[in-house]
Amino acid sequence: MGNIVNHDPRLAVEIAGIRFNNPVIGASGTFGYGLEFAELIDLNRLGGFSTKGLSARPLAGNPPPRIVETHGGMLNAIGLQNVGARAFIEEKLPLLRRFDTRVIANVFGYSDDEYLEAITILNDGEGIDAYELNISCPNVKEGGIVIGNSPTAAARLTEKAKRASTRPLIVKLSPNVTDIAELGRAVAGAGADCLSLINTVVGMSIDVETKRPRLSYGTGGLSGPAIKPIAVRMVYEVAAAVAVPLIGIGGIASATDAMEFILAGATAVQVGTANYYDPTVTIKIVEGLSAYCDTLAVERIASLVRAASPGN
Amino acid sequence: MIETVARVESNIEVAPGFRLLTLSFDRAINPEVGQFAMMKPSGCLEPLLRRALAVYRVERPDKLSFLYQVLGRGTQALSLAVAGSMVDTLVPLGNGWPTQSLTSSGRAIVVAGGIGSASVLMLCERLKRQGVDTRVFFGAANSDVALGCGLEDFKELALPLTVTTDDGSLGERGFVTAPLERHLQAGDGAGATIYTCGPWAMMSRVAELAARFDVRCYASLEAPMGCGFGVCVGCVVAVKTDGGSDYGSYKRVCTDGSIFPAEQVRWEVNAMGH
Repeated sequence: MGNIVNHDPRLAVEIAGIRFNNPVIGASGTFGYGLEFAELIDLNRLGGFSTKGLSARPLAGNPPPRIVETHGGMLNAIGLQNVGARAFIEEKLPLLRRFDTRVIANVFGYSDDEYLEAITILNDGEGIDAYELNISCPNVKEGGIVIGNSPTAAARLTEKAKRASTRPLIVKLSPNVTDIAELGRAVAGAGADCLSLINTVVGMSIDVETKRPRLSYGTGGLSGPAIKPIAVRMVYEVAAAVAVPLIGIGGIASATDAMEFILAGATAVQVGTANYYDPTVTIKIVEGLSAYCDTLAVERIASLVRAASPGN
Repeated sequence: MIETVARVESNIEVAPGFRLLTLSFDRAINPEVGQFAMMKPSGCLEPLLRRALAVYRVERPDKLSFLYQVLGRGTQALSLAVAGSMVDTLVPLGNGWPTQSLTSSGRAIVVAGGIGSASVLMLCERLKRQGVDTRVFFGAANSDVALGCGLEDFKELALPLTVTTDDGSLGERGFVTAPLERHLQAGDGAGATIYTCGPWAMMSRVAELAARFDVRCYASLEAPMGCGFGVCVGCVVAVKTDGGSDYGSYKRVCTDGSIFPAEQVRWEVNAMGH
């Protein structure tokens, strides 16, 4: 637990005043409450992780089937099954405090008030470094994507959440919008300290024998390598539109993938679906980023943020 | 739970569409009976996700075999793994069969359907070693499938064995639940524990019979799995709750199971989705 880790100083990044030992973060919804990975990797070597979406009260989630594999990715409609903010503080956080890694609490609600209620509960928890406002989950009928689809509603909630929060606020954007840069501008203008993007892309798979959608919810969120080019493009666009730092998400499974996002404009990255088929992938990415710095004589990876932009 | 790269010792076709994969590990694994592994060939980019396979046999503490049916993209990729190649593996996973309460005076009924047999061969061996009075019901679609599902290995155990095939090509014609029902009807299941693994509809029927004849029953479930170690929450099964909050109405097959008391499961909600 208290392992001494020699972090590569070239990989350190800062977001909203928080120092991450490296830019590799476990993505919300794919990293449980972090503890599930403690048996498999040294959590101290991670930049951080974002928890499964936490709501004020525990949620049961959607009926099965909840996942289906597709080419280069998977669809999920979990429906935010989670232990609830209170249980997270009481049962998970005390164990997480033993690790030297940044803990981002992903927050969800069915209404503005429920988001604020969850944040208020989590404000009492010791050992949370930031909140990530999940306004982009496509797998629930209220809250989430309903708010995230509208720049006005997203900005309104961001402003309230920022006021309620005692910690830096990351807002997680949905790709299921016409203009993600407009959404990014609205949310950053409302006080978000950082934007993370993208959440999953809404999709569907149909069983041709039963003639019904394969997921009980009907639609699901597409994740995995299949969505990476969409995500890189969106990070590139939002980076040009806002001044706040970005966390890139979407199909990252290697250090090369992570670098694409950094060059597009992300200060850090979140790794999601790849954790399922390689639970050690985050550590491999950290090592790969060090190797990249060696090969290209990079002194600080942060100096490469948005380097792919024509202005840089 | 160990994340490691295992080496393929052999990957033999035992019948058309059925293979026995033997993996050697760099350390002892020592799985419990009924546990499983998540795996896919190293370097395989497509499909993305690993597949869950039940441990069929422990050849040595560091050498396990897996009997599987080639059904979709994941098992097809595994079927191409040749001796000497490597397989990314997370093992052992799941809770295993509860056999502790059974003593030599106990009775057990094992009901296997199709490739569900892969999860219960070691269970049968364990029950036999514990001196438990054990009877096996083994169902398959036809005689070829029965061989693919390890029928010869079950025969070698020399336990009372009833075989059924859907088409009557071997043993009794029909579903395996028919002779099970007769057995229970005759009162031969009194005080027994039923262990079952197979298609959802079969296990659902076994659970119904167990409830009707008031026999304890455990079922090893299957569901599409993203990760196998509890984080994706994709492989859930609907379970009965005490009422009150909805929370807790779904349990993860991978870490809360894969083995559940049959009366806990809401069988009308098919976790497999077909």
